[in-house]
Amino acid sequence: MNRLLVFALALAGCVALAAGCGGGATDDGKKVLRVGNRSEVQDLDPHLCTGVAEQRALASIFQGLADLDLATMKPIPGAAASWTISEDGLVYTFALQPNGKWSNGDPVVAGDFLYAYKRMLTPALGSEYAYMLHCLKNAKAYNEGTLTDFGQVGVKVVDDATLELTLEAPTPYFLSMQIHYSWFPVPQKAIEAFGEMTTRGSEWTRPGNHVGNGPFKLKDWRPDEVLAVERNPNYWNAGSVKLDEVQFYPISNEQTEERMFRNGELDLTYTVPMFKIESYRKEHPELLQIHPYLGSYFYRFNLTRKPFDDVRVRQAFSLALNREEIAANVCKAGEQPAHFFTPPNTAGYTSQHQVETNIEKAKALLAEAGYPNGQGLPPVEILYNSSETDKIFAETVQNMWQGSLGATITLRNQDYKIYLDSMTGLNYDIARSMWIGDVVDPVNFLECFLTGGGNNRTGFASPEFDAAIRAAYAEPDVAKREAHLQSAEKILLENAVIAPVFFYTQKFLQDPKVKNVVPNLLGQYAWQDIDIVEPAA
Amino acid sequence: MSEAIALQEYEKGTSLWADAWHRLQKNRLAVISAAGILCIVCFAVIGPWFTAYDYDQQDTALGASAPSAAHWLGTDPLGRDLLTRVMYGGRVSLLVGLCATTVSLLIGVLYGAISGFIGGRVDHFLMRVVDVLYALPFTIFVIILMVFFGRNFILLFFAIGAVEWLTMARIVRSQVLSLREKEFVEATTVLGLPHHHVILRHIIPNALGPIIVYATLTIPQVMLLEAFLSFLGLGVQPPMSSWGILIKEGVETMEEYPWLLLFPSITLTGTLFALNFLGDGLRDALDPRVSKD
Repeated sequence: MNRLLVFALALAGCVALAAGCGGGATDDGKKVLRVGNRSEVQDLDPHLCTGVAEQRALASIFQGLADLDLATMKPIPGAAASWTISEDGLVYTFALQPNGKWSNGDPVVAGDFLYAYKRMLTPALGSEYAYMLHCLKNAKAYNEGTLTDFGQVGVKVVDDATLELTLEAPTPYFLSMQIHYSWFPVPQKAIEAFGEMTTRGSEWTRPGNHVGNGPFKLKDWRPDEVLAVERNPNYWNAGSVKLDEVQFYPISNEQTEERMFRNGELDLTYTVPMFKIESYRKEHPELLQIHPYLGSYFYRFNLTRKPFDDVRVRQAFSLALNREEIAANVCKAGEQPAHFFTPPNTAGYTSQHQVETNIEKAKALLAEAGYPNGQGLPPVEILYNSSETDKIFAETVQNMWQGSLGATITLRNQDYKIYLDSMTGLNYDIARSMWIGDVVDPVNFLECFLTGGGNNRTGFASPEFDAAIRAAYAEPDVAKREAHLQSAEKILLENAVIAPVFFYTQKFLQDPKVKNVVPNLLGQYAWQDIDIVEPAA
Repeated sequence: MSEAIALQEYEKGTSLWADAWHRLQKNRLAVISAAGILCIVCFAVIGPWFTAYDYDQQDTALGASAPSAAHWLGTDPLGRDLLTRVMYGGRVSLLVGLCATTVSLLIGVLYGAISGFIGGRVDHFLMRVVDVLYALPFTIFVIILMVFFGRNFILLFFAIGAVEWLTMARIVRSQVLSLREKEFVEATTVLGLPHHHVILRHIIPNALGPIIVYATLTIPQVMLLEAFLSFLGLGVQPPMSSWGILIKEGVETMEEYPWLLLFPSITLTGTLFALNFLGDGLRDALDPRVSKD
């Protein structure tokens, strides 16, 4: 009897404790937004990231020169209060926010931006995204090591509050690019307190050491658990920030994320499991958000490995994909089949060259390459990141390739970070890939495949392709620029470096108490504007 | 005991196995279970020849559909026939259950018996090795084995068995510790029988009861472990499937497509039930201490 009582008491205690710990977002009157963020961030150093989860997190603790009004997609003041553009569109002069401060209270000065660009472009840092800065004058040469004097790069500190940037060529999307982490300023003092300028993965990004200039500052970072950022009182526009804290949860399993959302442990999810979309549509349409998204789902081929060193084999694989079937039957959120790489109507651009689905032609090409009916073709492995959705797609395309080409296809899944490493190290045959636009411009998609680019990951190296992209960079005339991009995309598709599959839609679950989330093509979040309004009881 | 031996000489001794078989036949539940297991094995091994579908044959236009005349157990989201997939999955799951359990039995029983029978320093050393292996995080251990073995899934089965023997070794050792003090073991010493003979002929048959019970418990364990490792990308790779994987996928779409969880679960639990009843029956049948009738 006694033992039973003790047990009952212990149980009651546990329940009380759990209730105390659980709590809602505004237990103590604080507004805490809990966000599903898919994967653990690679780093909180903006120069060492390549992912989408990183963009979401970093946009809360850093701010570029200009921000984006997500409703109109027009640039608005960020770390710079205003700017002027020279008539030829080459020189941008930024006047920084007069009370712009780092989270440790130091003023944000023009030199901080110069330091950031210099660091980003220094070859020794090996930043994957360095090419984003190549629109700056001489930046490419400096990044490639052919120019060693940074003074010749188009970055000039006029005074502490004024920064002058000179471009190689007029770049229409230059201001909107500033929301991307490759353009964020970084704190020199904090970085060099823990290593050299080019030290990768040093301690400066840890809680307590981290310094940023965004609306929030780093509070806590427990890998694979939670990344929490809190209101930054030193932010130049701190008064307009509505949330007290944002917590990013790296939940790679979509099912888990959805369950957490249902349990009230998340307010905003990263995605929705495919098979839940239907039931949400029926039962809780107010929670389900589906919006256009500037993203491409595709398969990369490893051009450095047999049999994909042969363009005919790659073309055959691409031709054998029935994209209509995948988009219509496997995707559940209105995704469109992709016959080219850049999503249609990206800033008015739609690729004219299309890849088709033609099994007969695919077989003929494969036979021509020496593999009639797939005979002699070595077993091919599809690499994907451990995710149920990507597994479904991998199984679908596996079935298509095996059925129509007679190829032997195996599947292999890896944890997200290892999967990225495998792709970068060209340690795969075919890899599931995606690209989400950083800015609304086709060049952002196509430039991934520049020779040696950090996001190339295929071994593709084509001087003609590079030339077309460089010509597009340099071309002020809109029509001519588009012609260059068209020819670049044609080269990419004709070489079948990738096999496009479908264009994404953005889908997530949102608690109705979360306000001011503006859906946009880039999937960006303006954390400083988002609010939580508890429904009146 | 000595009396029984003496009697056997007169009535022409029957072997332990013949006795066991005789006793097992009388245990109706065990016989039914054995028949059930046989059916499931046939279902998994022969069944796929009789279905109209292949395990990776997709019909994406159909998608997930509830059980119907064309698909008796329904289809999964890619339109694959669930019945066929359960059959194929059974091959993998039964095979992993068999291989891994056999491996763990062989290693665990021999290891534990030797350790317990020889005793002293050898026992001490062998058991500390088991302690060290226990302390290794289990998943990491399997992953290390996989790195050596590559991604061959037959080898994976053995790898699972090779890490599942630890508890078995301890159970057997504790049994042996008490057995070796028994008079019949003393008798073997007096007769001058070699160690291996004593262990294999006298000690292990007497410890069979707990060994069999634990073995039947190991089978579901390794089946579920296989599902977990497959998810990590170490085991069976899609589109191949196993019961564990089917159930794991079924759980995720439980609300939308309940049949995807229901049927694989019924098959797995049915098999485990049968195995447990059979194990129970075998334990009773094989117990040499049970008097003959």
